[in-house]
Amino acid sequence: MSFAERMLKIDRRIIFVVIGLCTLLPLLYPVGLPIKISSEVRGVYDYIEQMPERSVFLLSIDFDPASKPELYPQAVAILRHAFRKNLRVVTMTLWVSGTGMADQLVTQVAQEMGKERGKDYTFLGWSPGGTAVIINLGQDLYNTFPSDYAGKTTKGQPVLDGVQSLRDVSYAVSLAAGNPGVEAWYVFGKDKYKFELGGGCTGVIAPGLYPLLRSGQINGLIGGLRGAAEYEILIGQKGRAVAGMDAQSATHLAIIVLVALCNIFYFSMRRQARRQGERS
Amino acid sequence: MIFLRRQLPLLITMITGLVFAGQYYVPHPASEQVLTSATKWMQIIGGFALVLGVTSLFHVHAAKIRRKEAGWGYSVVLYAGMLGTIAVGFWANGKESVEGVSTAFGWVYNFMMVPLQGTMFAILAFFIASAAYRSFRARSREAAVLLIAAVIVMMGRVPLGEYLIPMSGDLSQWILNVLNASVRRAILIGVSLGTVALSLKIIFGVERSYLGGGKE
Repeated sequence: MSFAERMLKIDRRIIFVVIGLCTLLPLLYPVGLPIKISSEVRGVYDYIEQMPERSVFLLSIDFDPASKPELYPQAVAILRHAFRKNLRVVTMTLWVSGTGMADQLVTQVAQEMGKERGKDYTFLGWSPGGTAVIINLGQDLYNTFPSDYAGKTTKGQPVLDGVQSLRDVSYAVSLAAGNPGVEAWYVFGKDKYKFELGGGCTGVIAPGLYPLLRSGQINGLIGGLRGAAEYEILIGQKGRAVAGMDAQSATHLAIIVLVALCNIFYFSMRRQARRQGERS
Repeated sequence: MIFLRRQLPLLITMITGLVFAGQYYVPHPASEQVLTSATKWMQIIGGFALVLGVTSLFHVHAAKIRRKEAGWGYSVVLYAGMLGTIAVGFWANGKESVEGVSTAFGWVYNFMMVPLQGTMFAILAFFIASAAYRSFRARSREAAVLLIAAVIVMMGRVPLGEYLIPMSGDLSQWILNVLNASVRRAILIGVSLGTVALSLKIIFGVERSYLGGGKE
């Protein structure tokens, strides 16, 4: 067996150790490389920035704990921004398995920013039906969520003053790890009920949402941990996402080096095989 | 019986399909009321679908345990996990915490479900790296193009990549905004046209597979 062949059949545990070290070391010894702000992330930030105080901002936390590393920092950064701007924050989820996590997230950030449940924010929770929930919210919010996640009646809550349906929402952002998510909010929500929509998603699904972004169907997109890090920098409050960017840099570079090595060994094996063929 | 099994469902499908396709273009309060009622029904049916899904899962795994099929032990774990969580959920009234204090249901969620889901997703990074090393090879021109695009996007999406190759950020944005968006849009348009065609076929009774088999 040639060296190239041996290298291509390397024990996968060695690769696991390399990736593990590339993740762990930058977290322990951060470098803090500068992060450029993209126009996609700025789109969401600028829109929230120009919203007048007490405008209604809807955040749909459409993910479960599996996507927490990427989307949780996005949600924290957006909530901090919205609370700082004194917006009325209405939160909910379309993912049943993310309900508990979403409640903790919203409560934690609200407490940190000194906001009061029912007055400054509310967490509506989850309701069955997937995309039907969006249509129903567009028709009548109180019919869809007669009570919030804490069990309090939604009607009469100061945070929902003057809000009857999605038509009364100034801006909505869906932080999604799949379907139902950003696309569903556009198709069943924005298109009919005419509110401005932004999106946030995991890095894996971000490329699939670019057509919506380019056509103006969503006004901004926060993609993956990088997007969250950009948002943290924009609000001037670095958190988990910025801390994780060095680790992501190192793992990306490690994968690129591994792919390059694999191709070098592959082409060297091909050349060897061709030479052997010519000789025989 | 044929009327109940075939013609009636086809008639209901046709009427509701046409009514709701038309409803979108009629902003009259009566039309909006129809939509409100229908979506409320959809939500209720969605709730029942959840029960149906759980029941079906129980049936499948009960059969596996009964027949002692390969991996039946996992089905036992599934049963124990599901019944345990349902019992704890009812006991805690479906609340993860009461006045800031975590309930047993909250404990199951925070210390079992969250770490388990996180672990499943996190180990993907290791498998992706291993799979990329073994299979991401420039075997053809198309594969080489894919490889180069992937490397540029991977470099451009992290600060280290932009630091080492400053133009990788702009290049990766161009790939995502122009090449990726246009191809994705073409696929989306194709899928949407297909959906419209299929919807029309279902509404007008050309496509009947949703009715299932059985005797006429």
